[in-house]
Amino acid sequence: MTSTVSIVTPDSARLPQARGLGSQILRDLGGLVLLAIASLAAGLVMNRFSLSPLPIVYQAPEQRFDAELTTLVAAAPFKIAPAATVGLEEFRSAAGSKSALILDARPSVFFEQGHVPGALNLARDDFAHDYRDLAGVLQAAHDKPIIVYCSGGECHDSRLVANALLSLGFGNVSVFTGGWDAWSAGGLPASTGNGR
Amino acid sequence: MVGGRAAGIHRERTMMAPDNSRRNYAVLAVSIAVAAVFIYAGIDKIRDPLQFADSTAAFAILPAVFINLLALGLPPFEIACGVLLLGPRTRRVGALAVAGISVLFFTALASALLRGLTLDCGCFGVGAPSRPRMWLELALDAALFSGALFIYLRSITRLPARAP
Repeated sequence: MTSTVSIVTPDSARLPQARGLGSQILRDLGGLVLLAIASLAAGLVMNRFSLSPLPIVYQAPEQRFDAELTTLVAAAPFKIAPAATVGLEEFRSAAGSKSALILDARPSVFFEQGHVPGALNLARDDFAHDYRDLAGVLQAAHDKPIIVYCSGGECHDSRLVANALLSLGFGNVSVFTGGWDAWSAGGLPASTGNGR
Repeated sequence: MVGGRAAGIHRERTMMAPDNSRRNYAVLAVSIAVAAVFIYAGIDKIRDPLQFADSTAAFAILPAVFINLLALGLPPFEIACGVLLLGPRTRRVGALAVAGISVLFFTALASALLRGLTLDCGCFGVGAPSRPRMWLELALDAALFSGALFIYLRSITRLPARAP
């Protein structure tokens, strides 16, 4: 009822209305600030009781990976020359003839959606766990060529995993830089599932 | 004049009633839609804060000291925004919060697109980095901002007129 009356209010009554509107907006902004503080507090409390809490200061994947690698090897990682690279044709030939061990460094969720047939998942983001799982296969292939790939383009996971394997004593490790993008763009066969 | 104005008010009341009702339904419908998007996005992020922190870091905007704080604080904030939008008395604060956060998301995504970055914004779960998806999420942020602004403007209480 009152909402339509306000439309025909004389000019003299508009100033208090504007003040009222201003105070409403200020109250809402106050509520917004309280909401932000309460949300941050709730997030910090949940993190405190989480099974894998985040540190307060962010660590890049490379820093986390470096720390994780020290649980597997006593020597300082990445003090070695970077791994060699291979192109699509060489990778395709190695994968087809099974002359090399193919490793997929992407997170398991992407690996399960689609990967190079015969590849095993040694995910950068869960390296120590996957490495222990694949220890038998990796030791059996110690003298065999190993080729690591990730998404392709700007992804760094394959280089990180390849350099970690070189740090761990594997001698013949290279990176397929085209990655999954180049493989799938070429219309080449794919497998799904966890591959085990 | 006085009689004419009173008659005008009466006509206006008679004509506005069904229109206001339609607008109230529209506010409720938009509130439910925006709330659903924010609650879904918040729950999705709360399950894997590390993944969201990595997605945030890929924007190369925030210093490391703020990234994890954002990754921990934003998911409860989004869920709270969604819940507040569903209550008539709390809708305004929820709408204001959604409008504000949508502007921040839009600015961050637009900045990444302008800098030529290809990334997964982490807005709605984990995905492969993709520029078409970034454009889609930019459009979604614009839509969420428009929806929140509509809810806020329609929910601001008009004060009753005072006698001159």
